[in-house]
Amino acid sequence: MISLNGLTKRYGDKIVVSDLSLSIKTGAVTGFLGPNGAGKSTTMRMIVGLDRPSAGSVTIGGLPYARITEPLRTIGALLDARAVHPGRSGHAHLVALARSNGIPLRRVAEVLETVGLGAAARKRAGALSLGMSQRLGIAAALLGDPGILMFDEPVNGLDTDGVRWVRGLMRSLADEGRTVFVSSHLMSEMQLTADHLVVIGKGRLIMDAPLTEVIARSSLTAVVARTPHAGELASRLTAAGIGVERLGENELVATGAAIERVGDIAHEAGVRLHELRTREASLEQAYQELTEGSVEYGART
Amino acid sequence: MNTATLTRTPSARGPRLLTRTLASEWSKLWSVRSTWWCLASAAVLMVLSTLTLGGAHSTDIANHNVPEKTFEASEAVVSATTFVQFALIAMAMLVITSEYGSGLIRATFQATPVRGRVLAAKAMVLAPVMFVAGVVTGGIATAVEYLLLSLDAFGGSIRVTPAGTVADLCTTGVYFALVSLLTVGLGAAMRSAAGTLTAAFMLVMGLPLTLAMSGSQVALDISMRMPMFAGLAFMGSTDNLTGGRIPYSSAEGLAWLVAWAVLGLVAGHIVLRRRDA
Ligand SMILES: Nc1ncnc2c1ncn2[C@@H]1O[C@H](COP(=O)(O)OP(=O)(O)OP(=O)(O)O)[C@@H](O)[C@H]1O
Ligand SMILES: [Mg+2]
Repeated sequence: MISLNGLTKRYGDKIVVSDLSLSIKTGAVTGFLGPNGAGKSTTMRMIVGLDRPSAGSVTIGGLPYARITEPLRTIGALLDARAVHPGRSGHAHLVALARSNGIPLRRVAEVLETVGLGAAARKRAGALSLGMSQRLGIAAALLGDPGILMFDEPVNGLDTDGVRWVRGLMRSLADEGRTVFVSSHLMSEMQLTADHLVVIGKGRLIMDAPLTEVIARSSLTAVVARTPHAGELASRLTAAGIGVERLGENELVATGAAIERVGDIAHEAGVRLHELRTREASLEQAYQELTEGSVEYGART
Repeated sequence: MNTATLTRTPSARGPRLLTRTLASEWSKLWSVRSTWWCLASAAVLMVLSTLTLGGAHSTDIANHNVPEKTFEASEAVVSATTFVQFALIAMAMLVITSEYGSGLIRATFQATPVRGRVLAAKAMVLAPVMFVAGVVTGGIATAVEYLLLSLDAFGGSIRVTPAGTVADLCTTGVYFALVSLLTVGLGAAMRSAAGTLTAAFMLVMGLPLTLAMSGSQVALDISMRMPMFAGLAFMGSTDNLTGGRIPYSSAEGLAWLVAWAVLGLVAGHIVLRRRDA
Protein backbone atom coordinates (compact mmCIF):
# COMPACT_ATOMS: atom_id res chain seq x y z
CA MET A 1 0.00 0.00 0.00
CA ILE A 2 1.15 3.50 -0.83
CA SER A 3 0.73 6.11 1.90
CA LEU A 4 1.33 9.81 1.45
CA ASN A 5 1.76 11.74 4.66
CA GLY A 6 1.62 15.50 4.36
CA LEU A 7 3.49 15.21 1.09
CA THR A 8 4.66 18.61 -0.14
CA LYS A 9 6.89 19.72 -3.00
CA ARG A 10 8.16 23.22 -3.61
CA TYR A 11 10.10 24.37 -6.65
CA GLY A 12 11.54 27.70 -5.60
CA ASP A 13 8.61 29.71 -4.29
CA LYS A 14 6.00 27.68 -6.06
CA ILE A 15 4.22 25.00 -4.07
CA VAL A 16 3.46 22.30 -6.57
CA VAL A 17 2.20 19.61 -4.23
CA SER A 18 0.68 20.78 -1.01
CA ASP A 19 0.23 18.66 2.09
CA LEU A 20 -1.23 15.57 0.42
CA SER A 21 -2.25 12.84 2.82
CA LEU A 22 -3.94 9.74 1.54
CA SER A 23 -3.43 6.06 1.02
CA ILE A 24 -3.95 4.19 -2.17
CA LYS A 25 -6.18 1.17 -1.91
CA THR A 26 -4.99 -2.36 -2.52
CA GLY A 27 -6.74 -4.45 -5.14
CA ALA A 28 -8.38 -1.53 -6.89
CA VAL A 29 -7.78 0.87 -9.73
CA THR A 30 -7.34 4.37 -8.34
CA GLY A 31 -7.61 7.12 -10.90
CA PHE A 32 -5.44 10.17 -10.28
CA LEU A 33 -7.04 13.23 -11.81
CA GLY A 34 -6.31 16.90 -11.99
CA PRO A 35 -5.81 19.69 -14.51
CA ASN A 36 -2.47 20.24 -16.29
CA GLY A 37 0.17 21.27 -13.80
CA ALA A 38 -1.86 20.05 -10.82
CA GLY A 39 1.13 18.07 -9.56
CA LYS A 40 0.22 14.51 -10.55
CA SER A 41 3.52 13.62 -12.18
CA THR A 42 5.45 15.32 -9.39
CA THR A 43 3.56 13.27 -6.81
CA MET A 44 4.31 10.07 -8.72
CA ARG A 45 8.01 10.93 -8.95
CA MET A 46 8.10 11.44 -5.20
CA ILE A 47 6.41 8.08 -4.65
CA VAL A 48 9.26 6.27 -6.40
CA GLY A 49 11.94 8.36 -4.73
CA LEU A 50 13.05 10.31 -7.79
CA ASP A 51 12.11 13.69 -6.36
CA ARG A 52 12.73 14.47 -2.74
CA PRO A 53 9.67 15.85 -0.89
CA SER A 54 10.09 19.35 0.53
CA ALA A 55 8.03 18.15 3.48
CA GLY A 56 6.12 15.05 4.46
CA SER A 57 6.86 11.54 3.29
CA VAL A 58 5.73 8.60 1.21
CA THR A 59 5.92 4.97 2.21
CA ILE A 60 5.27 1.82 0.26
CA GLY A 61 4.22 -1.06 2.42
CA GLY A 62 5.56 0.95 5.35
CA LEU A 63 9.00 1.54 3.81
CA PRO A 64 10.44 4.59 2.10
CA TYR A 65 11.21 3.72 -1.53
CA ALA A 66 14.98 3.76 -1.10
CA ARG A 67 14.77 1.06 1.58
CA ILE A 68 13.07 -1.47 -0.69
CA THR A 69 15.75 -3.95 -1.76
CA GLU A 70 14.17 -5.11 -5.02
CA PRO A 71 11.86 -2.23 -5.84
CA LEU A 72 10.84 -3.48 -9.29
CA ARG A 73 9.33 -6.54 -7.64
CA THR A 74 7.28 -4.31 -5.34
CA ILE A 75 6.19 -1.42 -7.50
CA GLY A 76 6.36 -1.00 -11.25
CA ALA A 77 5.97 2.48 -12.64
CA LEU A 78 5.56 3.98 -16.07
CA LEU A 79 6.34 7.66 -15.68
CA ASP A 80 7.66 8.66 -19.07
CA ALA A 81 7.52 6.37 -22.07
CA ARG A 82 10.51 8.06 -23.66
CA ALA A 83 12.80 7.28 -20.75
CA VAL A 84 14.82 4.77 -22.76
CA HIS A 85 18.23 5.14 -24.38
CA PRO A 86 17.30 5.73 -28.04
CA GLY A 87 20.20 3.58 -29.22
CA ARG A 88 19.41 0.53 -27.10
CA SER A 89 16.86 -2.06 -28.13
CA GLY A 90 13.76 -2.48 -26.00
CA HIS A 91 14.88 -6.02 -25.29
CA ALA A 92 18.32 -4.96 -24.04
CA HIS A 93 16.68 -2.20 -21.98
CA LEU A 94 14.50 -4.73 -20.19
CA VAL A 95 17.40 -7.15 -19.73
CA ALA A 96 19.42 -4.46 -17.95
CA LEU A 97 16.47 -3.64 -15.69
CA ALA A 98 15.81 -7.30 -14.94
CA ARG A 99 19.46 -7.90 -13.99
CA SER A 100 19.45 -4.97 -11.59
CA ASN A 101 16.66 -6.54 -9.54
CA GLY A 102 17.53 -10.22 -9.87
CA ILE A 103 14.50 -10.84 -12.05
CA PRO A 104 14.78 -14.01 -14.17
CA LEU A 105 15.49 -13.10 -17.80
CA ARG A 106 12.58 -15.20 -19.08
CA ARG A 107 10.32 -12.44 -17.70
CA VAL A 108 11.65 -10.17 -20.47
CA ALA A 109 10.14 -12.35 -23.18
CA GLU A 110 6.97 -12.76 -21.12
CA VAL A 111 6.28 -9.07 -20.66
CA LEU A 112 7.17 -8.30 -24.26
CA GLU A 113 4.57 -10.88 -25.20
CA THR A 114 2.03 -9.34 -22.81
CA VAL A 115 2.38 -5.85 -24.29
CA GLY A 116 2.48 -7.20 -27.84
CA LEU A 117 5.80 -5.63 -28.80
CA GLY A 118 7.21 -8.79 -30.37
CA ALA A 119 9.84 -8.25 -33.06
CA ALA A 120 9.90 -4.48 -32.53
CA ALA A 121 11.71 -5.14 -29.25
CA ARG A 122 14.89 -5.84 -31.20
CA LYS A 123 14.81 -2.43 -32.85
CA ARG A 124 16.53 0.63 -31.46
CA ALA A 125 14.13 2.18 -28.97
CA GLY A 126 14.58 5.54 -30.68
CA ALA A 127 12.91 4.09 -33.76
CA LEU A 128 9.72 3.11 -31.91
CA SER A 129 6.52 5.11 -32.32
CA LEU A 130 5.04 6.84 -29.26
CA GLY A 131 2.49 4.08 -28.84
CA MET A 132 5.16 1.38 -29.03
CA SER A 133 7.35 3.26 -26.53
CA GLN A 134 4.34 3.39 -24.26
CA ARG A 135 4.00 -0.38 -24.54
CA LEU A 136 7.69 -0.80 -23.76
CA GLY A 137 7.23 1.41 -20.69
CA ILE A 138 4.33 -0.74 -19.56
CA ALA A 139 6.43 -3.86 -20.13
CA ALA A 140 9.13 -2.39 -17.88
CA ALA A 141 6.55 -1.70 -15.18
CA LEU A 142 5.27 -5.29 -15.33
CA LEU A 143 8.76 -6.81 -15.42
CA GLY A 144 9.14 -7.60 -11.72
CA ASP A 145 5.55 -8.91 -11.41
CA PRO A 146 4.95 -6.24 -8.76
CA GLY A 147 1.96 -5.94 -6.46
CA ILE A 148 1.67 -2.22 -7.10
CA LEU A 149 1.56 -0.54 -10.49
CA MET A 150 1.67 3.12 -11.22
CA PHE A 151 1.05 4.63 -14.65
CA ASP A 152 1.31 8.27 -15.64
CA GLU A 153 -1.00 8.80 -18.60
CA PRO A 154 -0.52 5.30 -20.00
CA VAL A 155 -2.86 5.65 -22.96
CA ASN A 156 -1.05 8.70 -24.28
CA GLY A 157 -0.29 7.91 -27.92
CA LEU A 158 -2.08 4.57 -28.04
CA ASP A 159 -4.52 3.71 -30.81
CA THR A 160 -8.10 2.68 -29.97
CA ASP A 161 -7.14 -0.98 -29.68
CA GLY A 162 -4.29 0.02 -27.42
CA VAL A 163 -6.57 2.11 -25.23
CA ARG A 164 -8.96 -0.78 -24.85
CA TRP A 165 -6.07 -3.11 -24.12
CA VAL A 166 -4.74 -0.83 -21.34
CA ARG A 167 -8.23 -0.63 -19.84
CA GLY A 168 -8.45 -4.42 -19.76
CA LEU A 169 -4.91 -4.73 -18.41
CA MET A 170 -5.57 -2.37 -15.52
CA ARG A 171 -8.81 -4.12 -14.65
CA SER A 172 -7.18 -7.53 -14.70
CA LEU A 173 -4.22 -6.33 -12.62
CA ALA A 174 -6.60 -4.99 -9.98
CA ASP A 175 -8.70 -8.14 -10.13
CA GLU A 176 -5.56 -10.17 -9.37
CA GLY A 177 -5.35 -8.19 -6.14
CA ARG A 178 -2.80 -5.62 -7.25
CA THR A 179 -2.88 -1.94 -6.53
CA VAL A 180 -3.17 0.20 -9.66
CA PHE A 181 -2.61 3.95 -9.48
CA VAL A 182 -3.11 5.68 -12.79
CA SER A 183 -3.30 9.27 -13.94
CA SER A 184 -5.24 10.27 -17.00
CA HIS A 185 -7.03 13.13 -18.66
CA LEU A 186 -9.44 10.81 -20.44
CA MET A 187 -12.49 10.92 -18.19
CA SER A 188 -14.50 8.48 -20.25
CA GLU A 189 -11.67 5.94 -19.87
CA MET A 190 -11.40 6.57 -16.15
CA GLN A 191 -15.13 6.16 -15.71
CA LEU A 192 -14.82 2.70 -17.24
CA THR A 193 -11.70 1.61 -15.35
CA ALA A 194 -11.41 3.29 -11.98
CA ASP A 195 -12.90 2.07 -8.72
CA HIS A 196 -11.64 4.97 -6.73
CA LEU A 197 -10.61 8.52 -7.55
CA VAL A 198 -8.09 10.96 -6.18
CA VAL A 199 -8.57 14.44 -7.60
CA ILE A 200 -6.07 17.23 -7.02
CA GLY A 201 -5.93 20.82 -8.19
CA LYS A 202 -3.02 23.22 -7.76
CA GLY A 203 -1.32 20.57 -5.67
CA ARG A 204 -4.16 20.27 -3.15
CA LEU A 205 -6.39 17.33 -2.52
CA ILE A 206 -9.90 18.01 -3.82
CA MET A 207 -11.47 14.58 -3.53
CA ASP A 208 -10.53 11.09 -2.41
CA ALA A 209 -13.59 8.90 -2.85
CA PRO A 210 -15.03 5.93 -4.71
CA LEU A 211 -16.02 6.66 -8.29
CA THR A 212 -19.69 6.03 -7.54
CA GLU A 213 -19.64 8.55 -4.75
CA VAL A 214 -17.95 11.20 -6.87
CA ILE A 215 -20.67 10.79 -9.45
CA ALA A 216 -23.48 10.69 -6.91
CA ARG A 217 -22.24 13.87 -5.29
CA SER A 218 -22.25 15.82 -8.52
CA SER A 219 -24.96 18.42 -8.84
CA LEU A 220 -25.53 17.07 -12.31
CA THR A 221 -26.61 13.77 -10.88
CA ALA A 222 -30.33 14.30 -10.53
CA VAL A 223 -33.76 12.71 -10.40
CA VAL A 224 -35.95 13.14 -13.46
CA ALA A 225 -39.70 12.97 -12.99
CA ARG A 226 -42.36 12.84 -15.72
CA THR A 227 -45.81 13.74 -14.45
CA PRO A 228 -48.92 15.50 -15.66
CA HIS A 229 -48.77 17.61 -12.47
CA ALA A 230 -45.26 18.95 -12.88
CA GLY A 231 -46.16 22.36 -11.46
CA GLU A 232 -47.61 20.92 -8.27
CA LEU A 233 -44.64 18.58 -7.72
CA ALA A 234 -42.20 21.40 -8.41
CA SER A 235 -43.62 23.60 -5.69
CA ARG A 236 -43.69 20.72 -3.17
CA LEU A 237 -40.06 19.87 -3.92
CA THR A 238 -39.00 23.50 -3.68
CA ALA A 239 -40.76 23.76 -0.35
CA ALA A 240 -38.74 20.76 0.82
CA GLY A 241 -35.55 22.59 -0.10
CA ILE A 242 -34.80 20.53 -3.19
CA GLY A 243 -33.49 22.22 -6.33
CA VAL A 244 -35.88 21.95 -9.25
CA GLU A 245 -35.56 22.65 -12.91
CA ARG A 246 -38.47 22.33 -15.33
CA LEU A 247 -37.58 20.49 -18.51
CA GLY A 248 -40.90 20.75 -20.25
CA GLU A 249 -44.57 20.88 -19.45
CA ASN A 250 -44.61 17.36 -18.01
CA GLU A 251 -41.05 16.93 -16.90
CA LEU A 252 -38.76 18.23 -14.17
CA VAL A 253 -35.34 17.56 -12.75
CA ALA A 254 -34.70 17.51 -9.01
CA THR A 255 -31.15 17.93 -7.75
CA GLY A 256 -29.72 17.28 -4.33
CA ALA A 257 -32.12 14.55 -3.26
CA ALA A 258 -32.23 10.79 -3.54
CA ILE A 259 -34.79 9.21 -5.79
CA GLU A 260 -36.65 7.70 -2.80
CA ARG A 261 -37.21 11.12 -1.27
CA VAL A 262 -38.59 12.56 -4.50
CA GLY A 263 -40.91 9.55 -4.84
CA ASP A 264 -42.15 9.96 -1.25
CA ILE A 265 -42.87 13.64 -1.70
CA ALA A 266 -44.79 12.90 -4.88
CA HIS A 267 -46.79 10.24 -3.07
CA GLU A 268 -47.66 12.58 -0.17
CA ALA A 269 -48.78 15.22 -2.63
CA GLY A 270 -50.88 12.70 -4.49
CA VAL A 271 -49.08 13.47 -7.70
CA ARG A 272 -49.32 10.80 -10.40
CA LEU A 273 -45.91 9.79 -11.77
CA HIS A 274 -45.40 8.44 -15.27
CA GLU A 275 -41.69 8.07 -14.85
CA LEU A 276 -39.14 8.54 -12.10
CA ARG A 277 -35.47 7.85 -12.77
CA THR A 278 -31.97 8.86 -11.77
CA ARG A 279 -29.90 10.72 -14.32
CA GLU A 280 -26.24 10.19 -13.51
CA ALA A 281 -23.66 12.82 -14.24
CA SER A 282 -20.77 11.64 -16.36
CA LEU A 283 -17.40 11.60 -14.68
CA GLU A 284 -16.42 14.34 -17.08
CA GLN A 285 -19.18 16.58 -15.71
CA ALA A 286 -18.46 15.69 -12.11
CA TYR A 287 -14.78 16.33 -12.65
CA GLN A 288 -15.44 19.64 -14.33
CA GLU A 289 -17.40 20.85 -11.33
CA LEU A 290 -14.78 19.66 -8.88
CA THR A 291 -11.87 21.32 -10.58
CA GLU A 292 -13.55 24.50 -11.82
CA GLY A 293 -11.70 26.64 -9.34
CA SER A 294 -8.32 25.04 -9.77
CA VAL A 295 -7.55 25.08 -13.46
CA GLU A 296 -4.27 26.86 -13.68
CA TYR A 297 -3.29 26.52 -17.28
CA GLY A 298 -6.51 26.92 -19.20
CA ALA A 299 -7.24 28.54 -22.53
CA ARG A 300 -9.86 31.26 -22.35
CA THR A 301 -13.17 30.10 -23.76
CA MET B 1 -2.28 -12.02 -2.14
CA ASN B 2 -0.98 -11.93 -5.67
CA THR B 3 1.45 -14.21 -7.42
CA ALA B 4 4.23 -11.65 -7.04
CA THR B 5 4.42 -12.29 -3.34
CA LEU B 6 4.36 -16.04 -3.76
CA THR B 7 7.18 -16.30 -6.28
CA ARG B 8 9.46 -13.79 -4.61
CA THR B 9 12.99 -14.95 -3.97
CA PRO B 10 14.51 -14.24 -0.58
CA SER B 11 15.68 -10.67 -0.40
CA ALA B 12 19.26 -10.08 -1.44
CA ARG B 13 21.68 -8.01 0.60
CA GLY B 14 24.89 -5.99 0.35
CA PRO B 15 27.44 -7.52 -2.02
CA ARG B 16 24.74 -9.45 -3.88
CA LEU B 17 22.93 -6.21 -4.63
CA LEU B 18 26.12 -4.59 -5.94
CA THR B 19 26.74 -7.61 -8.17
CA ARG B 20 23.31 -7.14 -9.71
CA THR B 21 23.84 -3.44 -10.32
CA LEU B 22 27.19 -4.32 -11.90
CA ALA B 23 25.54 -6.89 -14.17
CA SER B 24 22.95 -4.33 -15.18
CA GLU B 25 25.53 -1.64 -15.94
CA TRP B 26 27.66 -4.13 -17.82
CA SER B 27 24.80 -5.06 -20.12
CA LYS B 28 23.92 -1.40 -20.62
CA LEU B 29 27.50 -0.58 -21.63
CA TRP B 30 27.66 -3.20 -24.36
CA SER B 31 24.16 -2.76 -25.74
CA VAL B 32 24.73 0.65 -27.30
CA ARG B 33 26.71 1.31 -30.42
CA SER B 34 28.44 4.39 -29.04
CA THR B 35 30.62 2.17 -26.82
CA TRP B 36 31.94 0.30 -29.84
CA TRP B 37 32.43 3.49 -31.80
CA CYS B 38 34.44 5.07 -29.01
CA LEU B 39 36.62 1.99 -28.61
CA ALA B 40 37.20 1.73 -32.35
CA SER B 41 38.07 5.44 -32.50
CA ALA B 42 40.45 5.02 -29.60
CA ALA B 43 42.18 2.14 -31.40
CA VAL B 44 42.52 4.04 -34.67
CA LEU B 45 43.71 7.20 -32.92
CA MET B 46 46.17 5.18 -30.87
CA VAL B 47 47.73 3.47 -33.89
CA LEU B 48 47.92 6.67 -35.95
CA SER B 49 49.32 8.92 -33.25
CA THR B 50 51.77 6.26 -32.05
CA LEU B 51 53.05 5.88 -35.60
CA THR B 52 53.37 9.64 -36.05
CA LEU B 53 55.11 10.18 -32.71
CA GLY B 54 57.38 7.15 -33.16
CA GLY B 55 58.20 8.24 -36.71
CA ALA B 56 59.15 11.71 -35.50
CA HIS B 57 61.37 10.17 -32.83
CA SER B 58 63.14 7.96 -35.40
CA THR B 59 63.75 10.98 -37.58
CA ASP B 60 65.14 12.97 -34.64
CA ILE B 61 67.53 10.14 -33.85
CA ALA B 62 68.55 9.72 -37.48
CA ASN B 63 69.29 13.48 -37.66
CA HIS B 64 71.16 13.40 -34.31
CA ASN B 65 68.74 15.97 -32.84
CA VAL B 66 68.50 13.98 -29.62
CA PRO B 67 71.27 12.37 -27.58
CA GLU B 68 69.86 8.79 -27.48
CA LYS B 69 70.64 6.19 -30.15
CA THR B 70 67.57 3.95 -29.78
CA PHE B 71 64.10 4.28 -28.32
CA GLU B 72 61.44 2.00 -26.85
CA ALA B 73 58.46 1.55 -29.19
CA SER B 74 55.85 1.79 -26.42
CA GLU B 75 57.10 5.24 -25.33
CA ALA B 76 55.14 6.63 -28.25
CA VAL B 77 52.00 5.03 -26.80
CA VAL B 78 52.47 7.01 -23.61
CA SER B 79 52.72 10.25 -25.56
CA ALA B 80 49.74 9.25 -27.70
CA THR B 81 47.46 9.03 -24.62
CA THR B 82 47.18 12.82 -24.73
CA PHE B 83 45.04 12.48 -27.86
CA VAL B 84 43.56 9.03 -27.46
CA GLN B 85 42.08 9.77 -24.06
CA PHE B 86 39.35 11.94 -25.54
CA ALA B 87 37.74 9.02 -27.35
CA LEU B 88 37.63 7.19 -24.03
CA ILE B 89 36.50 10.26 -22.09
CA ALA B 90 33.58 10.44 -24.52
CA MET B 91 32.74 6.83 -23.78
CA ALA B 92 32.91 7.30 -20.01
CA MET B 93 30.87 10.46 -20.26
CA LEU B 94 28.11 8.79 -22.30
CA VAL B 95 27.69 6.11 -19.66
CA ILE B 96 26.02 8.70 -17.46
CA THR B 97 25.07 11.71 -19.59
CA SER B 98 23.14 9.59 -22.10
CA GLU B 99 20.95 8.47 -19.20
CA TYR B 100 20.16 12.03 -18.21
CA GLY B 101 19.71 13.06 -21.82
CA SER B 102 17.13 10.36 -22.53
CA GLY B 103 15.46 10.25 -19.11
CA LEU B 104 16.63 6.67 -18.64
CA ILE B 105 18.24 7.73 -15.36
CA ARG B 106 14.76 7.69 -13.83
CA ALA B 107 14.27 4.04 -14.75
CA THR B 108 17.76 3.32 -13.43
CA PHE B 109 17.07 4.96 -10.06
CA GLN B 110 13.68 3.31 -9.82
CA ALA B 111 15.41 -0.03 -10.19
CA THR B 112 18.30 0.92 -7.89
CA PRO B 113 17.24 3.73 -5.57
CA VAL B 114 20.55 3.75 -3.71
CA ARG B 115 22.17 6.15 -6.13
CA GLY B 116 25.69 5.74 -4.82
CA ARG B 117 25.49 2.09 -5.82
CA VAL B 118 24.64 3.06 -9.38
CA LEU B 119 27.60 5.41 -9.58
CA ALA B 120 29.89 2.83 -7.99
CA ALA B 121 28.74 0.18 -10.45
CA LYS B 122 29.30 2.47 -13.42
CA ALA B 123 32.80 3.24 -12.15
CA MET B 124 33.57 -0.42 -11.44
CA VAL B 125 32.46 -1.46 -14.90
CA LEU B 126 34.33 1.34 -16.67
CA ALA B 127 37.67 1.04 -14.90
CA PRO B 128 38.60 -2.50 -16.04
CA VAL B 129 37.21 -1.90 -19.53
CA MET B 130 39.35 1.22 -19.85
CA PHE B 131 42.38 -0.60 -18.53
CA VAL B 132 41.97 -3.33 -21.10
CA ALA B 133 41.30 -0.73 -23.80
CA GLY B 134 44.61 0.95 -22.94
CA VAL B 135 46.58 -2.30 -22.94
CA VAL B 136 45.02 -3.66 -26.12
CA THR B 137 45.03 -0.50 -28.23
CA GLY B 138 48.52 0.32 -26.94
CA GLY B 139 49.67 -3.22 -27.72
CA ILE B 140 48.34 -3.09 -31.26
CA ALA B 141 49.86 0.33 -31.80
CA THR B 142 53.23 -0.80 -30.46
CA ALA B 143 53.24 -3.83 -32.77
CA VAL B 144 52.29 -1.82 -35.84
CA GLU B 145 54.80 0.88 -34.98
CA TYR B 146 57.59 -1.62 -34.48
CA LEU B 147 56.83 -3.51 -37.70
CA LEU B 148 56.94 -0.32 -39.75
CA LEU B 149 59.71 1.65 -38.05
CA SER B 150 62.12 -1.29 -37.79
CA LEU B 151 62.41 -1.13 -41.58
CA ASP B 152 65.88 0.00 -42.62
CA ALA B 153 64.49 3.19 -44.15
CA PHE B 154 63.73 4.51 -40.65
CA GLY B 155 67.23 3.99 -39.36
CA GLY B 156 66.48 0.96 -37.16
CA SER B 157 66.59 2.95 -33.93
CA ILE B 158 63.35 1.46 -32.54
CA ARG B 159 63.51 -1.33 -29.97
CA VAL B 160 61.04 -3.43 -28.02
CA THR B 161 61.84 -4.82 -24.60
CA PRO B 162 59.34 -6.94 -22.70
CA ALA B 163 59.76 -5.01 -19.45
CA GLY B 164 59.46 -1.59 -21.07
CA THR B 165 56.42 -2.59 -23.12
CA VAL B 166 54.56 -4.16 -20.20
CA ALA B 167 55.24 -1.15 -18.00
CA ASP B 168 54.13 1.37 -20.62
CA LEU B 169 50.99 -0.54 -21.60
CA CYS B 170 49.92 -1.16 -18.02
CA THR B 171 50.44 2.42 -16.90
CA THR B 172 48.56 3.58 -19.98
CA GLY B 173 45.66 1.31 -19.04
CA VAL B 174 45.64 2.58 -15.46
CA TYR B 175 45.78 6.18 -16.67
CA PHE B 176 42.75 5.65 -18.93
CA ALA B 177 40.89 3.92 -16.10
CA LEU B 178 41.50 6.80 -13.69
CA VAL B 179 40.62 9.51 -16.21
CA SER B 180 37.39 7.67 -16.98
CA LEU B 181 36.51 7.62 -13.28
CA LEU B 182 37.07 11.37 -13.09
CA THR B 183 34.86 11.76 -16.16
CA VAL B 184 31.99 9.62 -14.93
CA GLY B 185 32.02 11.58 -11.66
CA LEU B 186 31.94 14.85 -13.58
CA GLY B 187 29.09 13.47 -15.68
CA ALA B 188 27.05 12.69 -12.58
CA ALA B 189 27.66 16.21 -11.33
CA MET B 190 27.03 18.05 -14.61
CA ARG B 191 24.45 15.75 -16.25
CA SER B 192 24.74 17.26 -19.72
CA ALA B 193 27.11 15.86 -22.32
CA ALA B 194 28.32 19.30 -23.41
CA GLY B 195 29.02 20.40 -19.84
CA THR B 196 30.81 17.19 -18.94
CA LEU B 197 32.97 17.17 -22.04
CA THR B 198 33.97 20.79 -21.48
CA ALA B 199 34.76 20.21 -17.82
CA ALA B 200 36.73 17.04 -18.54
CA PHE B 201 38.69 18.68 -21.35
CA MET B 202 39.49 21.72 -19.20
CA LEU B 203 40.60 19.66 -16.20
CA VAL B 204 42.52 17.03 -18.10
CA MET B 205 44.21 19.16 -20.73
CA GLY B 206 42.97 22.73 -21.25
CA LEU B 207 43.84 24.14 -17.84
CA PRO B 208 47.11 22.27 -17.30
CA LEU B 209 48.41 23.41 -20.70
CA THR B 210 47.28 27.01 -20.24
CA LEU B 211 48.72 27.21 -16.73
CA ALA B 212 51.98 25.55 -17.76
CA MET B 213 52.45 28.04 -20.58
CA SER B 214 51.52 31.06 -18.46
CA GLY B 215 55.08 31.62 -17.27
CA SER B 216 54.17 31.95 -13.60
CA GLN B 217 55.90 29.47 -11.30
CA VAL B 218 52.83 28.99 -9.10
CA ALA B 219 50.68 28.30 -12.17
CA LEU B 220 53.28 25.85 -13.45
CA ASP B 221 53.37 24.04 -10.11
CA ILE B 222 49.59 23.75 -10.08
CA SER B 223 49.42 22.56 -13.66
CA MET B 224 51.93 19.80 -12.93
CA ARG B 225 49.44 18.36 -10.40
CA MET B 226 46.60 18.24 -12.86
CA PRO B 227 45.61 15.00 -14.62
CA MET B 228 47.56 15.44 -17.84
CA PHE B 229 51.00 15.95 -16.27
CA ALA B 230 50.29 13.70 -13.33
CA GLY B 231 49.48 11.06 -15.93
CA LEU B 232 52.62 11.68 -17.95
CA ALA B 233 54.71 11.49 -14.78
CA PHE B 234 52.98 8.29 -13.76
CA MET B 235 53.54 6.74 -17.18
CA GLY B 236 57.25 7.52 -16.96
CA SER B 237 57.51 10.62 -19.09
CA THR B 238 59.43 13.49 -17.54
CA ASP B 239 59.02 16.29 -20.08
CA ASN B 240 56.77 19.11 -18.81
CA LEU B 241 56.38 20.50 -22.36
CA THR B 242 57.94 23.85 -21.42
CA GLY B 243 61.49 22.59 -21.61
CA GLY B 244 61.62 21.58 -17.94
CA ARG B 245 60.90 18.39 -16.07
CA ILE B 246 57.89 17.18 -14.11
CA PRO B 247 59.15 17.70 -10.57
CA TYR B 248 58.06 14.45 -8.97
CA SER B 249 58.14 10.68 -9.25
CA SER B 250 55.89 8.25 -11.08
CA ALA B 251 54.35 7.14 -7.77
CA GLU B 252 53.38 10.68 -6.89
CA GLY B 253 51.88 11.06 -10.34
CA LEU B 254 49.68 8.06 -9.60
CA ALA B 255 48.69 9.58 -6.27
CA TRP B 256 47.58 12.80 -7.96
CA LEU B 257 45.62 10.87 -10.56
CA VAL B 258 43.85 8.84 -7.91
CA ALA B 259 43.06 12.04 -6.04
CA TRP B 260 41.46 13.55 -9.15
CA ALA B 261 39.42 10.44 -9.81
CA VAL B 262 38.20 10.38 -6.20
CA LEU B 263 37.42 14.09 -6.32
CA GLY B 264 35.33 13.60 -9.46
CA LEU B 265 33.43 10.64 -8.03
CA VAL B 266 32.77 12.39 -4.70
CA ALA B 267 31.49 15.50 -6.47
CA GLY B 268 29.26 13.31 -8.65
CA HIS B 269 27.96 11.40 -5.66
CA ILE B 270 27.10 14.55 -3.72
CA VAL B 271 25.06 15.93 -6.61
CA LEU B 272 23.40 12.57 -7.29
CA ARG B 273 22.22 12.31 -3.72
CA ARG B 274 21.01 15.87 -3.40
CA ARG B 275 19.33 16.71 -6.67
CA ASP B 276 16.04 15.39 -7.93
CA ALA B 277 16.57 12.94 -10.75
N1 LIG C 1 11.72 20.17 -12.06
C1 LIG C 1 10.82 21.17 -11.96
N2 LIG C 1 11.21 22.42 -11.68
C2 LIG C 1 10.32 23.42 -11.57
N3 LIG C 1 8.99 23.27 -11.70
C3 LIG C 1 8.54 22.06 -11.98
C4 LIG C 1 9.41 20.94 -12.13
N4 LIG C 1 8.67 19.85 -12.38
C5 LIG C 1 7.39 20.26 -12.41
N5 LIG C 1 7.31 21.58 -12.16
C6 LIG C 1 6.06 22.37 -12.08
O1 LIG C 1 5.23 21.72 -11.17
C7 LIG C 1 3.88 21.83 -11.57
C8 LIG C 1 3.25 20.47 -11.56
O2 LIG C 1 3.77 19.71 -12.60
P1 LIG C 1 3.34 18.20 -12.87
O3 LIG C 1 4.10 17.75 -14.04
O4 LIG C 1 3.48 17.43 -11.62
O5 LIG C 1 1.81 18.36 -13.24
P2 LIG C 1 0.82 17.28 -13.80
O6 LIG C 1 -0.33 17.26 -12.88
O7 LIG C 1 1.52 16.00 -14.05
O8 LIG C 1 0.40 17.95 -15.18
P3 LIG C 1 0.03 17.26 -16.58
O9 LIG C 1 -1.39 16.87 -16.47
O10 LIG C 1 0.21 18.39 -17.53
O11 LIG C 1 0.95 16.14 -16.81
C9 LIG C 1 3.89 22.53 -12.89
O12 LIG C 1 3.56 23.89 -12.68
C10 LIG C 1 5.29 22.39 -13.38
O13 LIG C 1 5.66 23.50 -14.14
MG1 LIG D 1 1.98 14.90 -15.77
